[in-house]
Amino acid sequence: MPPPATVAVIGGGAAIGTFAASADPSLPPRTAAQLLVDLQTARLDGLSGTVVQTSDLGLPSLPNLGGGSGAADVMSLVTGDNTLRVWYSGPDKVRVALMGTLGETDVIRNGSDVWLWESEANKATHSKLSGTEAGQRHAMPNGVPLTPQQAADQALAAIDPTTEVTTSGTANVAGRDAYELVLRPRDTASLVGQVRIAIDATEHVPLRFEVLAKDSDKAAFHVAFTQVDFDRPDDQQFEFNPPPGAKVEESTELTPQQEAQQGDKARDGGGVTTVGEGWTTVAVAKYDSAAAPSSEEAGAAGLLKALPEVSGAWGRGNLLTGTVFSVLITDDGRVLAGLVSPERLYEVAATKAGK
Amino acid sequence: MSAVDAPAFFVSELRLVGRRRRNQAGLAVLAAVPIIIAVAMKVAAPSEGGSSEGPEFFGSITSNGYFVALAALAVEIQLLLPIAVATVAGDSVAGEANQGTLRYLLTVPVDRTRLLAVKFAAIVAGAFVATFTVASAGLLSGWALFGAGPVTLLSGSQAGVGESLLRLLAMCAYLTVCLSALGAIGLFVSTLTEQPMGATIAITIITVTSWVLGVVPQLDWLHPYLLTNSWTAFGELLRSPIAWEPLRTGLMSAAAYMLIFLSAAWARFTSADVTS
Repeated sequence: MPPPATVAVIGGGAAIGTFAASADPSLPPRTAAQLLVDLQTARLDGLSGTVVQTSDLGLPSLPNLGGGSGAADVMSLVTGDNTLRVWYSGPDKVRVALMGTLGETDVIRNGSDVWLWESEANKATHSKLSGTEAGQRHAMPNGVPLTPQQAADQALAAIDPTTEVTTSGTANVAGRDAYELVLRPRDTASLVGQVRIAIDATEHVPLRFEVLAKDSDKAAFHVAFTQVDFDRPDDQQFEFNPPPGAKVEESTELTPQQEAQQGDKARDGGGVTTVGEGWTTVAVAKYDSAAAPSSEEAGAAGLLKALPEVSGAWGRGNLLTGTVFSVLITDDGRVLAGLVSPERLYEVAATKAGK
Repeated sequence: MSAVDAPAFFVSELRLVGRRRRNQAGLAVLAAVPIIIAVAMKVAAPSEGGSSEGPEFFGSITSNGYFVALAALAVEIQLLLPIAVATVAGDSVAGEANQGTLRYLLTVPVDRTRLLAVKFAAIVAGAFVATFTVASAGLLSGWALFGAGPVTLLSGSQAGVGESLLRLLAMCAYLTVCLSALGAIGLFVSTLTEQPMGATIAITIITVTSWVLGVVPQLDWLHPYLLTNSWTAFGELLRSPIAWEPLRTGLMSAAAYMLIFLSAAWARFTSADVTS
């Protein structure tokens, strides 16, 4: 019979390439404040790399909303694991490719041209940015942060007196030495335990971004480079010509930014208010429960019914709980959401501000 | 040492594998699938614009015959290609034992390690012939019915005919390595039994089990270790630029499987009593 030792190699061998060595590098110490300055003053010429994003938000598994098993659609960003390839050569030359098993969704920005390419649909959507938007950052249409940089920007924007900023030493990400910045909500009512950002020691660029739930050492949201190269990518990388035979759509008004702005307006119209501040802010929105549901909304309503029903002094509704956030949808047309426990949502729902 | 030199032994082994009626029939079945796909797509003639209906690559077939080859590879890698490799691998040692020829082979005399090496080389060759047959049958039938031309890659850029053929050849090579890992398991199983059909079925079951475990989300910690986990990574060769990382992971995984099961087969075969 075979030596049993060889069998043990099976795991080690098969896992080569999935794990990188992660010994703590020895770097000169740097304070949290210095790291924050590093982040803000980092000047990035160019970058290309592979980013892996995983979400373990503790959501109930959603029924497959269309698309094959290998579909690289934008919805998949919210659930499960994703691999992205990123090319960056200045703010006006960006390409992000979301990789499916046998498909790909690309967002390519070259100057004022933005292309969205979906291989499964064989469809290319073109939009042109006007001058004012030209400096804005590009994101996938649903606003999920794609790169550690985008995620870190969003987190740093939230830094205020309610946040405790520390550094937990050093890390090794994608084979590069990095410092780790830790943001902790001072308010213990938040479900978020800490946000960890690993910053490249020489380039000062975020390499890894993690959100950890309270009392958990497993990341609820994680986006990190598995491979990164700080050479400026070839300009060819940002050229996109729709292939013959593909559907080409010219989009006049729906750049993702505008879409987001429109969405904001719509939400403003619907009356989004916030209760509380900092990490325990609860957003309260009203939706028109009387409006005739479109087919999509009908589908959403079906999903709603699958959520557990809750009731209290504030009324009745359905509750969605994740590891780091809760959403309460009441029967009288209110949506309350926040990085807090359901109990806090009930409290807000019962107050005047939550009405 | 051996009275037979290695190349001659390898050629005779290939002749043995190639002359088997069931291997020839199996190859015909492998080649038939892409032809059926091409004809069915031609007859059905779906509406213009390449819908995303059906399995991967099917929507693109009507615009370029090249995709028949890809669709056929994507379909057949699931089961038919593994069965083809399982047939050859299961037969390799157990078949000889079953027919009583193994004893005579070893009295020639042939070094057992060399015998095993030649058997495995034949399995690898068989895996390549099978994959290449599927790809070329798909390519030829696709080109005949839908025409050739520059290929639209997954990233949305175009590759010329020559470059796309090179990419297809690389896919065949990658899948050959993946299937050879299965072949290594097969060779080991084949040394355990004298029933070639039993070995073939066992190897097929291993493949199917690996696919099934691969789609159970609760077992995602196990997925990187599964034999079939990286098989569909051949699609990475269709990106621009090619994403080498998943391919490298797949090749490493295949190499690990080969190392383990070839040493297991060697340990078993060199120490076993050959009685039949």
